[in-house]
Formats: sequence, structure tokens, C-alpha cells
Amino acid sequence: MSKKQLNGKQYWRSLNQLADTDEFRSFVENEFPEGTLELSDGLSRRKFLSLMGASLAFAGLAGCRRPIEKIIPYVISPEDIVPGIPLYYASAMPFGLESIGVLVENHEGRPTKLEGNESHPSSNGKANAFVQASILDLYDPDRAKEVSNGGESSDFEAFLLAWQDVRNKFENSAGENLAVISTEYSSPTLARLKKEFLKAYPNATWVAYEPVNDENVRRGIKMATGTLARPLYNLDKANVILALDSDFLQTESDVLRNAGDFAKGRKVTHENDQMNRLYVAESNYTVTGAMADHRFKMQSNHIAAFAAAVAIELNKQGFSVPGIDGIKSAGFSFNKSTIKALVRDLITNKGKSLILAGSRQPAHVHAIVSAMNEALSNIGETVTYYTFPDAQPSDIAEFKSLSTKMANGSIDGLIILGGNPVYNAPADFNFANALSKVEFSVHLSSKVNETSLLSSWKIPESHFLESWNDVRIAQGPSSIIQPQIEPLYASVSNIELVSAFTTGQSVKGYDLVQETWSYILSPTKFEKSWRKVLHDGVHFQSSGEISLKTNSKLLVNELQKQSFAMRTASAENLEVVFSTSASVYDGRFANNGWLQELPDPITKLTWDNAALMSRTTAKTLGLRNEDLVTLKFEGRNLNIPVWIVPGMADYSIGLELGYGQSSIGRIGDDTGVDTYKLRTSSHQGFGFGAMIVGTGLKYELASTQDHNGMDGDATAEKGVQDRLPIIVREATMDEYKHHPEFAKEAVEHPPLISMWEEKDYSEGPQWGMAIDLNVCTGCMACTIACQSENNIPVVGKDQVKIGREMHWMRMDRYFTGDIENPKSVVQPVACQHCEMAPCEQVCPVAATTHTDDGINGMTYNRCVGTRYCANNCPYKVRRFNFYHYTKDIPEIVQMAQNPDVTVRFRGVMEKCTFCLQRVNQAKITSKKNNQILVDGDVVSACQQTCPTDAIAFGDITDPNSKVSQMKQQNRDYALLGELNTKPRITYQAKLRNPNPELEKG
Amino acid sequence: MSEALHPQQFDPEKAPLITGGQTFGSITEKISSIVEKRAPKEWWLLFAMALSGLFLLLGTLGWLIWEGTGIWGLNNPVGWGWAIVNFVFWVGIGHAGTLISAVLFLFRQKWRTSINRFAEAMTIFAVICALLFPGIHVGRIWLLYYFFPVPNQMGMWPNFRSPLLWDFFAVGTYFTVSLLFWYTGLIPDLATLRDRAKKRIRKMTFGVLSLGWRGGNRQWQHYELAYLVLAGLSTPLVLSVHSVVSTDFATSLVPGWHTTIFPPYFVAGAVFSGFGMVMTLVIIARKFYGLHHIITAQHLDKMAKIMLVTSSMVGYAYSMEFFIAWYSGNVYEQFAFINRGFGNYAWAYWIMISCNVILPQFFWFKKIRYNTKLLFIASILVNVGMWFERFVITVSSLSRDFLPSSWAYYSPTIFDILTFVGSFGLFFTFFLLFLRFLPMVSMTEVKGILPEANQHHETH
Repeated sequence: MSKKQLNGKQYWRSLNQLADTDEFRSFVENEFPEGTLELSDGLSRRKFLSLMGASLAFAGLAGCRRPIEKIIPYVISPEDIVPGIPLYYASAMPFGLESIGVLVENHEGRPTKLEGNESHPSSNGKANAFVQASILDLYDPDRAKEVSNGGESSDFEAFLLAWQDVRNKFENSAGENLAVISTEYSSPTLARLKKEFLKAYPNATWVAYEPVNDENVRRGIKMATGTLARPLYNLDKANVILALDSDFLQTESDVLRNAGDFAKGRKVTHENDQMNRLYVAESNYTVTGAMADHRFKMQSNHIAAFAAAVAIELNKQGFSVPGIDGIKSAGFSFNKSTIKALVRDLITNKGKSLILAGSRQPAHVHAIVSAMNEALSNIGETVTYYTFPDAQPSDIAEFKSLSTKMANGSIDGLIILGGNPVYNAPADFNFANALSKVEFSVHLSSKVNETSLLSSWKIPESHFLESWNDVRIAQGPSSIIQPQIEPLYASVSNIELVSAFTTGQSVKGYDLVQETWSYILSPTKFEKSWRKVLHDGVHFQSSGEISLKTNSKLLVNELQKQSFAMRTASAENLEVVFSTSASVYDGRFANNGWLQELPDPITKLTWDNAALMSRTTAKTLGLRNEDLVTLKFEGRNLNIPVWIVPGMADYSIGLELGYGQSSIGRIGDDTGVDTYKLRTSSHQGFGFGAMIVGTGLKYELASTQDHNGMDGDATAEKGVQDRLPIIVREATMDEYKHHPEFAKEAVEHPPLISMWEEKDYSEGPQWGMAIDLNVCTGCMACTIACQSENNIPVVGKDQVKIGREMHWMRMDRYFTGDIENPKSVVQPVACQHCEMAPCEQVCPVAATTHTDDGINGMTYNRCVGTRYCANNCPYKVRRFNFYHYTKDIPEIVQMAQNPDVTVRFRGVMEKCTFCLQRVNQAKITSKKNNQILVDGDVVSACQQTCPTDAIAFGDITDPNSKVSQMKQQNRDYALLGELNTKPRITYQAKLRNPNPELEKG
Repeated sequence: MSEALHPQQFDPEKAPLITGGQTFGSITEKISSIVEKRAPKEWWLLFAMALSGLFLLLGTLGWLIWEGTGIWGLNNPVGWGWAIVNFVFWVGIGHAGTLISAVLFLFRQKWRTSINRFAEAMTIFAVICALLFPGIHVGRIWLLYYFFPVPNQMGMWPNFRSPLLWDFFAVGTYFTVSLLFWYTGLIPDLATLRDRAKKRIRKMTFGVLSLGWRGGNRQWQHYELAYLVLAGLSTPLVLSVHSVVSTDFATSLVPGWHTTIFPPYFVAGAVFSGFGMVMTLVIIARKFYGLHHIITAQHLDKMAKIMLVTSSMVGYAYSMEFFIAWYSGNVYEQFAFINRGFGNYAWAYWIMISCNVILPQFFWFKKIRYNTKLLFIASILVNVGMWFERFVITVSSLSRDFLPSSWAYYSPTIFDILTFVGSFGLFFTFFLLFLRFLPMVSMTEVKGILPEANQHHETH
């Protein structure tokens, strides 16, 4: 393999000869050739710039970090790059079996922000916190930077040579004792390369392992129907939804689409509109539980019985659920009238109802759910089954047998494609030991993590923003992942590595993807179609939809083997429930500062996980917040701090995964506690029989709400409950029908008159925002989108602990009602841009003033930092730079910053600006084109990403703009409007739609 | 002395204000000798302590400017902490001086003469300490000149709607007038020191400082008129300065700050704390320098009575705040006060109530008013209480305002504490230098109330 073929950079080298300085030569040698490209964070900014300047002197070298292969801009198709004007490219972010279509904002060859791709059905133009934050992962200074062998630094060519030696042996044995562990994927190219790999090594094993996956769901469907399949939900078609331990709005699969569809069924503009109804039975308090109209708290191990009870009741009411005859309901202790009412509701809406269960629940729960959905004629309506085109679902049994083989020493060659099984494999597999028995092991990973350290070869993995690849989702559409930047380090992608293993040659990802797509696209117009797919970011292929029927005989057999007994948890016999984290997911985002500092939607904890428990549990165990305890489960012990979450099932302990890693980087190392240590293969979802023993020690946690815990402060709790009805206004559908103006009449106050003549804001555009609390789930995507758009610094756990988090858009979460079984409401709060802004009146130096288009502006240069504005802000949205938070940001991380937004200095106040840079950009564009601004020209970052479309932003003087329409609704109210601040953000009050039958009881 | 200013009627029912058979000569000797003799060991000891405090302050401020306000315990809801508490505290202390010099002067309270110099000096140093804090508490100290209403290349004026700007003017004016007033009062005494000086440098220094004072009849006439005018000018400032300081809080909309009672309540509190501080200092000074005859028990008794009055005013204000909060029917307002009494800062609130309202009630008893030791302890506790009053107002209100999601607890860091301790270093450094180099009691004015000064003195 010649150098030219490998990197296509012969071009640089010839130009290089023209540059005669040593410095430039070494810079080019070190920096540019693909495969050896490396940007250390030690490189000083001045040096970087001067070298960039030097390289610019050579025509054609400008934008030298842009890949050479043609990639097509999505929106604007410029002749050339205009400095300062970003370009947008379509791409996709792979996420297990799913992928999210994205648009990448690219500033002169430097990707800075991700948004959802409107044409892609998995995102519909929306993005969640993980998508938003993944831009920071690209510029993670702790990424794996070079190929290394047994700790010695090496390069990819040396690796290929080493593989060549081993390869002959495997070729002779047809891949005997050769194995691949991949993560879950759904990629036409990788699927093709897997086939080729197995053709070359027919006896090799290929298994997928993902620590959190939907295997239970798939096996459940197989149990009921005999076929392995995955369900996808159409929540927009569902009037009644019963979620069994399923956080389908936040942590389960396909959450972006689920949240969007769910919100469609919940959008209400008028008191006579209909709204869907959500029943949730769960142990943890989840985002989905917070949205519920009826939330039944129960231990995770009672869910199976609950599902069975619902199925039996369905049977009783004449909807025969196949296969449930064998279940004994003798021990069930559910409220019969509740279940009756719930089932009646499901039946009334048959074909428009949906029952779904969480991936944590065992297969037989999913089997019953599948049968119930069939009985209710929901299949094909609210739920559809799909096969796995081009996908590799994870299989714990295969993974287990491979681990056993490895431990026996019968695996000689192992290729691990991504992931970190040493950290997250089931604790009983003892994977670290198994891996150390493998002679030739290769780990492709973006981090030098626990698994890399035990592998003989470490190969840096390219980020999806710097490599060619492709993805496909179950509904059919596939996307090409196009790189936005040359690889920052000497990394390769998974397809490049698999291809190298098969052929022994290094082939560029671009060629691999093109080859795959040459089979997909019509060969006659290939070039044109290829460009179109790149441009659109999506290509519609046949879906994997299949139609399945329950096989009652099979299901009866299967269900008879299962136990539906309800075990009684107690203080000595606790249930542990594992879940992914809303911040770090399964641990893959643990070195992402934005996500680590992102408050959990419910617990509001940052930088840590904890043993989550209800008040009763804590009281019985004699524990308080931040007590460090030892959790004992199946002979394994774990020290973990306590955090009380009202409304959790009693004696259930919630444990978030993904924390406490030892080798992921400066942010994630030793942050939180590694709960994988307690997670065995038989208890992937939840387990029973844990104990808690106090250690007498304290462990400080950083929460952004209820700092220092309001636990036990009766004065504060009463104060909160007294004012909640006027802060987050809420009614049931019934109340709303009878009293449509409830939101406007929640507070009695004297007439609001001004002491002076008010400024006239009648001339447009006047910017304003509306937030529909009825569809906001509190998923936190807006917070991260805002952080990414506005260069908001990460301040660290110690600063959060004392209340100095910098988020411009925060998510307030309150519990209401019975503290043992509370409801929860959320409210996104950013600067309200008050027309009568209290902050503006008190600033002694006029650093915060109003613009003519109604934005509460902040002149950073003028601010001296008296903090008087923050004191006088009733919404407390102003954030002060107590330290120079941006001082120590490594050079490489600075590349993630938005060049259109000032980075603030210490001693300066900052806050939401209504994305002023976007407003101005749109104004300039419209002026240049001699057009007037129309609704949708300006989209704020939070609005753009919001998966449920809860946020509208625009001109409030235009009666037809979306924001004006929302503000005209009768649920519209101004937060603390009784202070006469005249905020430009208004909220649409929250509604709940309880079952009238249950309300009576 | 002018008859108008020092009425002749001498109430025989009352004991003389100055005891021990003092004469003009003995007073001059007693007061001047303190300045002229070597400083006692105790002075050096105290001065060393004060100076260390000052250096502590400078060190802390250096670190503050280098690192940023993050070294303090401030957070997002609580944007103002100890710095602003200390500012209000020191401004409050600075009140007694002008009250004693000007207001009591206009009301012809002769007992003020023994303590007014003292109190005025205290005022000036306290205001210096106070002025320090608004300066250092900002995020970018090097841009402080943005506050000044001067024409500049940016074409920007400060925001005249901001109470912080009014503050700046109010305290600045108060400082200037107090300094002038103090200095004017010093002139005849400086001349006395000049006349008694033996060394050339001392002669020259006091010569310059006494502005050619010869004690002639015409000079006395002008002097007394000027003093009267300055007293008249200072009197409204006593009311204005703390009223304006209180508008920092009162004009905002934070529950617990947004209160119309603040201006009079702050003034009463300031007088209360100012007298507490004077009492503390006077009791120390009269003990060290043996001034029992000039600053007598009667002086302390009168100060205790003023404290009793102002304490009751403050107590009334505390209860009115609660009443108005209840009467307003506003949940935020009601919670702010319930939270003060029973919430996260209840401990501070009850320290405040004990020291400011309950403790001074003991001053109804004459025995206690004449017990120097008890007065000394009480005077210190009064200032502890008054510091906590400002703390309760500033911090507890901010800590839990409108939206519970933002509520947070504020705790000071070591740097908050060191800055406060350091400000005492600054204060005492100045104060001890004053005791060392300037007459701490106004000789002129004390002489004016001696029996000898009364033209009918012989007839008694």
C-alpha cells in the first residue's frame, strides 16, 4: 500500500517541497498526512495561527482541514467558501441500532454545531442532548491519538504488517478462534464488510454487545410470535398509552421520534381539543413518569404481574389476549377498580391505544405486551414490527459464550470494534480476565479506555464527524455519514478497520462507502444520485416492516415457565434498578463536560450518579441525602452516595450506569460511581435482594436545584407549594373545559400601571417566545443546544455545588401534591426579555439595555460586574462569570466554539440573548436580498432542537407567526407577570388528562 | 463663646457633665499630653494588631483582584454577600459621628462635646471602610471609572436610574462634608497643639494644619458661624445617606428588600449601631487614657438612652415588616418574612432580634446604664446584631426569592471573613493614628461647658 493510496495526500508533499522552512516542513509532516495527523492541545494558539497563516500562503492549502472528497452543502451551494458564513452539511449520527439525521454547521472546515435534519424521519429536524453534545466529543482532548502496541506508540502501517503475520494463520484455519465483538450497528457498509469478513474467515465469530439494549424487547416478541423483531411506535396515533417501566420519552430507543409523536397527541390549542392520555407504571421517577396523567409507582419486579393483571382484565372484558391462560393471579395486589378503569379506557380506544414496556423488563413482559397490543388491534396502527436490515443487534448469550471461550484460552485473535466491554460487560463475565487470555487483541476506540489498556493493539477510532460511513434505520431510510473535517488524530473508522482485517490492505472509507452505495443506487446515474443522497442526508429504501401474529401455543408454553409472583421488597431486601443516565447514557459520554454538567431531568444532579430512593426508603434506612452507603448485591459491594427522589417506588434503589470510569479522560475519570460492578448477566435490568449499610461518611453531590437539600425544611417546602400554582399553572382537561381562562386568572393582583411612559414596541419585528408547558418533557436538549450555540462554559462540580452553573436555559423541575407520590412539572426558564426589565433599571453603568426590537441586550464590554441586575431579576436567569471560566479551555476544545458569539471574560454578567447572532444574521440576509423577514427566518437554538416543538420564537407583531398564535391561546400566561415586568416569553399552561373514572375514586 | 450656641442655664438638678474639678488648664493638659507624650505600650500592641489586619486586607484584596470575585461564597441567587453587608454595616457606623456633632449640636445637647471628636473621627474612618466595599465587590475593578459621570470618549453616561449610582453620590457627599466638619472642629485644637509644640517639625505641621488660627474674637465669630453652617449642612445628610443606601434594596423588587419602611428604618438602625460603636471605642479610650472625668458615666448613660430609643425604632420596623407582609396578601412577601424567622437563615435572624431588640431593653434600668462593663459588652453585641441585620436583609432575601428552582444557600469563604476582619484592621489603623496624633476630645468645646465658661459661674 503506497502512501499515496493510503492518504491521498501526495499533493501536500509536493507543495511541501516549496516551503523551505524547517518549521513549516515539520508542521506539514506532523499535521497533514492522513494517518499521522495530530493536533496536540499543547500547541500554542499563536504558533497554530502563524502556521496556519504560512500554509495559507499556498493556494489550495486554505481550508486545509477539509476533506478532499466532495461533500455537498445542504442549504446553500456556494461557489466558494465565504469566510464567516457557515455552511451546512447533511450527515447522520450513529447510535446503536438507531441513527439520527443531522445537519452540521461548518465554519471554514470546522464543524461547530449539530442540528436535526428535517428530511430525516428519525429526527425530523430535531436533536436531543446527546446529538447536541457530540460535537464536543469530536474535540475531546483526551481522545486516543495514535496507534499503539502494548503501550509502545506505533502507526497504522505497522499494525497492518503485524496483522499480515497473524492473518496467514487465520486464513489457513478459515478464521478458527478468531472473533469480533462489535457494538450494535445498522450500517449498509459495515454489514457488507461483515459478510466479506465472514467469507474470508468462515469459522470466525462475530457478536455484538451493547450494555444497554433492546434484547428483552426483541426476545419478547419472539416469545409471542416466534420471530425476532423490533417494535417501533407511532405515538401520534395513540389516544391512550400505557407505559410499563418504559421511559420512552428520554432513555429508551428512538426517543427523538417518540417524543415528537407523543407531543403531537398532546398539542392543545383550544379547550375543546382532545389530548392523549398517558398511564405510567414505574419504579424510578422518569421524564415519562413526569408527563403521565396517571403514574402508578411500583417496583420493577411488580411490572410483570401488573402487565398480567391488565391482560387478564382485558380477557374478562371480552378482548381475548392469547396465551395468558396459564398465569396465576392469586398473589396480585393491585387496585382492581384502577385496572378495570384502565382497561376500559384501552378498550374504548382500541386501535388507537398502545401498551409498551421498557427494555429493562424481561422478555415475557414484552410477550404479554405484544399479545395485548394484538388483542387491542394496535399492531400496524400504533406499533409496527421491523426486522433488522443491515443491522447487528446485540445478543448476550453469544457474548457470554465468547467470553467463556476467551477465558478458556481458545480465542487467539480478537477484534473489538468500539465500546468498552471491560468496563461495562456483566460483572459475572469477568471480561478483563478473559481478554487478558487473548494473544492478539485489537481495540478500535476513540478513547484509551479500560478495554484498550488490556488489548495488545489500540487503534484510535474516528469520530462520525471526521469519517465516511453510512447508517440505516429500521423504517428504511439510510444516510451517508460525510466527514466535516480531516481526522484530528491518527484514527480510522470501523469500516476501514474491518476492511483492513479482511483484505490486509488499507482502503479509504470513502471508497468503501461508495462501493456499498454502488449496489444501492442505480449505476447509470450513480454520480448524480450519490450527490443527491449527500445533499439530502437521507435515501429512502424499503423498510424492514413485517407483519407478525401471536402464536398462542408458543406463548402459553413460554409464559408457564415464567414467574409472575410479586416479591415484597423491604429495607433488608431491596430492589436495585439499573438505568441509563440522561447525561452520560451508558458511559460513552462520560468525558463530555457539557453532559456531565447537564442536570439530570428529575434528580437535578450533575457530575455524579447516586443511589436514588424514595423518602420512605431513606427514612426507614435512617439515611439522608449525601450519606455514603455500601450497597450489597449478590456478594458484590459498592460505595455510593444517597439521593432522595420523591415518588420512587419504596425500597427500589435507582442506579444510573455509565459513571465511575477510570480511563476516559480528565472529565469523566472517577466521576461518580461505577454501577456496572453490581450488574450481572442475570440482572441486566433490575435485581432483588440488595442491602444497604451506612458507612458514616458523607459524599457531596452537586445539584442545581434544592442546593443543600430542602429535605426537612418545612418552611421552604410549604413556601414552594404555596406559590407553585401561580408559577407553573396547571389544570386537568375537565377543569380547562369549564374554566378556559384558568391560566390568566391564577393570580389576583392590582392593576399594573407604570410609573413612567413606556417605550413603544409596536413596530415590528418584535421578538418574543412562547413555551408550551403541556408538551415540554424536560429532556434538557434545549439547555445543551444553547450551551453549544452560545459558548457557555463548563464550570465543574465544585462551582455547581455552590450554585454557579452557567446554563442560560435551565429546566426547573417541581414536585407537587402528595410528597410520597408526587406529580412533577417542568418549566424551561431563560431570560424573559422583560419590556420593563428590572435588571436594566438597576445597572449603574447601563451595560444591560433594551434593543428597539425588544431584546434585553447585554453589553459585555460595558459590564463592570456589580451583579445588581442578577439580584433584581425575579427569574434569576442571569449568570455571572465569577472566575475566568474559559481560561483553561484547551486549544482543541476551543474549536467547538461558535465564532459568531463572544466568549465572556471573568467579572461579566451573561444570559440568554434570544440568539442575537441568529437574529442579526437573518436581518442582514433579508436586507441583502431586499426581502422582509418572515416567520421562520430566525430560529433560536433551543427552539430548533426541541424534540416536542414546545418552543416557538419569532415576531410577536406578526399575528400569523407561530409565536403569536401560541400567545393568543387562552392558556397563555406570563411567569411572574403580576410584577409588571412584561416578559416577552410567555408560557402555555400545563394540562393533564386524567381518566375521569379514576379521578372519582 | 457665643451665648446663642451655649446657653447659660445650668440645670442644678443634674450632676455636672465634667467632673473632677477640671479647669481650662487641666483639660488642655490632659488631652494634649496624650498626643505629646510617648505612646503607651498598649497603643503599640494595638497598632501592631491593627496594622496586621490592614496587611491582611491588602493581601486579600490582591488575591481578589487577581482571581476574581469567585473567591467569595457568592452564587447565582445571592449576588451580594459579605461585601455589601460590610458596606452597609460600616456606613451605618459612620452615622453616629455626624449625628453627635451636627444634630446634637443644633439641639444644644452639651454632653456631646466630650465625645463628638471621637465620633466624627470614627465616622470618617468607618466611611472609608465602607467606600472600600462597593469598589472591590465588582467583577472588573479596573473599569470602576465607568461609574463616574464624566464626559468620555464612549459618549456614555452612567445610568442615573440606578440606586447604586445614587449611593455613590450619597456616600461621597457624606464623606466630604463629614471630613470638612471634622476638620473645621479641629482647627482651634490644632492651634493649641501648635502652641504647645516644642519641636520645629511639629510646630510647622500643626502650624500648617491650624490654618493660622490665633483665637481672636473675630476668628471665633467666623469659626462658630462656619461650624453652624456645616452642622446645618450635615444634618440632612445624616438622614439622606442611609436613606439612599436603603434604596439599593428598597427600589428593587426582591421580596424582603422591596419595602417602603427602609429609609427611616435604616437611619434608625445606623444611629443605633453608630452609638454602639462609639460606646465601645469610648469605653476603651477613657480607660486607657484615664479620661473618666471628661467622658463620664453620664455620657455613657445618655448614649445608652439613645440606643434604647433607636433599638425600639428598629424593633418597631422589624414588626411592621411582618405586619405589612401579612397585610399585603402577597405570597412571595409573606414567605420572605416567614423564611427569615423560620427558614434557612433563622439562626441569623434570631441573633439579630436578640442583640438589637431584646438586649437594649435592659437599658431601661439605670443600674445597667451606669455599669461600664455591661455597657461595653452590650455595645459590642449591638454591633454584632446590626451586622446580622444587614446580613439577614441582604442574604436571606436573595437566597430564596421568587422561583424556588433558583434557591440556594450562601456560605462565606475564608476570603469573605478575612476581608471583613481586614476592614477592622483598616479602621483601627486609622483610629489609632488619630488617637496618637490628634486630640481625641474637643478641648475647645469641652471648655465651653465648664462652669468657668458660664459668665454667671461665680454667682453660683
